[in-house]
Amino acid sequence: MSAVISAVATFFVYAVMATFAQNAVFARGMGVSRLVQLVGDDDTSSLLFGSLLSVICVLSAPLTWGIGILLRNFSYRAAVRPLIFVACSFLICGALWLLFTRVEKIPYRLRLRAMLPNAGFNTCVLGTLLASTVQRFTLAQTLGFALGSGVGYLIAVLMVGEARRRLRSNSVPKPFRGLPIVMIYIGILAMAIYGFTGHMIAI
Amino acid sequence: MRSERARLILSEEEHYFHHDRIFLNNPAVMQGMGMAPLVIMATTGRKAMLLAVAVAMLLTPTRVLCSLLLQKVRQPLLRAGVYCGVSAAVYIVVWLLMRDFFGNDMLTLGLYLPLLVVDPLVIYRHGRVAEPVRKAFSKGLRITLGYGLVLMITGCLRELLSLGTIFDNRIFDMSLLPVATSPAGGFLLIGVVFAVWRSIGNAWRRYLEQEAKKKA
Repeated sequence: MSAVISAVATFFVYAVMATFAQNAVFARGMGVSRLVQLVGDDDTSSLLFGSLLSVICVLSAPLTWGIGILLRNFSYRAAVRPLIFVACSFLICGALWLLFTRVEKIPYRLRLRAMLPNAGFNTCVLGTLLASTVQRFTLAQTLGFALGSGVGYLIAVLMVGEARRRLRSNSVPKPFRGLPIVMIYIGILAMAIYGFTGHMIAI
Repeated sequence: MRSERARLILSEEEHYFHHDRIFLNNPAVMQGMGMAPLVIMATTGRKAMLLAVAVAMLLTPTRVLCSLLLQKVRQPLLRAGVYCGVSAAVYIVVWLLMRDFFGNDMLTLGLYLPLLVVDPLVIYRHGRVAEPVRKAFSKGLRITLGYGLVLMITGCLRELLSLGTIFDNRIFDMSLLPVATSPAGGFLLIGVVFAVWRSIGNAWRRYLEQEAKKKA
């Protein structure tokens, strides 16, 4: 019983750590390119995209955790990991694609299906899977870290999306409008997080 | 600049500005591609150079191979999967070559080297129509040059501001901006570099327009 409680506690600690202290965007810079595109795209829902990315992270994590253990004694593991992990993400995305195609009761299924390629293949998903494998996390730690990374990314997307209106203000100097001011805004948010946690290199 | 040349450039504005992936339509500065390695890992000139070499070996071959493989594939998820799979397969060769050439230096890039495999800089074409092989090759080279330039400028600037050195050669004995090595400092500095870059691009356009208006 205590082993279960310990695993659940570990899961939540890692989820909270990955959401805030080791936030995928603000501390690890992962998925920033996609985030910038997402913020400028009025047709794609940030909430749906972030949620889908979290689901893909969590579902891929047990697969890559198992493969990580199998590859531990393989000399070229660092070279082949991206290929194998991309294949894992592809499997999960394929399963979700089938689900969204066949089950008509799922809300927003067509929008979710259209988002699958970008939500499944990005630096946030692969970075999370690689980080938890390289650091030899346990299954509970891996799942917690994957969930936290996805939720952290979702929070970052919503925060930057919320600020988008203000960042378009005329009081922003012309050369800074668009991408430069978004980068500076993310930088300031990252510094605010350091204020709570202190900064350490994530990986 | 002679006004005829300026008029010629402006008459083919779409061709000239859109195809210039190095300065006027740089994928990092204009579309925000390749941000993860740029923000986190390009903290010194040497690391930036390693990343630029990796991108050079990864981007164009991936693009050319995908152009060959995906001419008739329309399914979006399959296209994305094949693009990332090809990129990850090319990465195996890149990893072996970089290990031989750079040894342990390669380890300083941590996870940000394999992350190039799924970076939009390398795989963004999966969402677009297939391009001819020749175009894929030339565009791949131009994007590589443009991104390499941004990497080197950012890496050297961050090294100079945080350590007072460029490629380990001491320029001054103080740290002007220690935060430049952190991700937050990276975001801030890159924001400023991009703003300056865009200003220069806009000034160049205005200059061309003025030159074109002049009577021959």
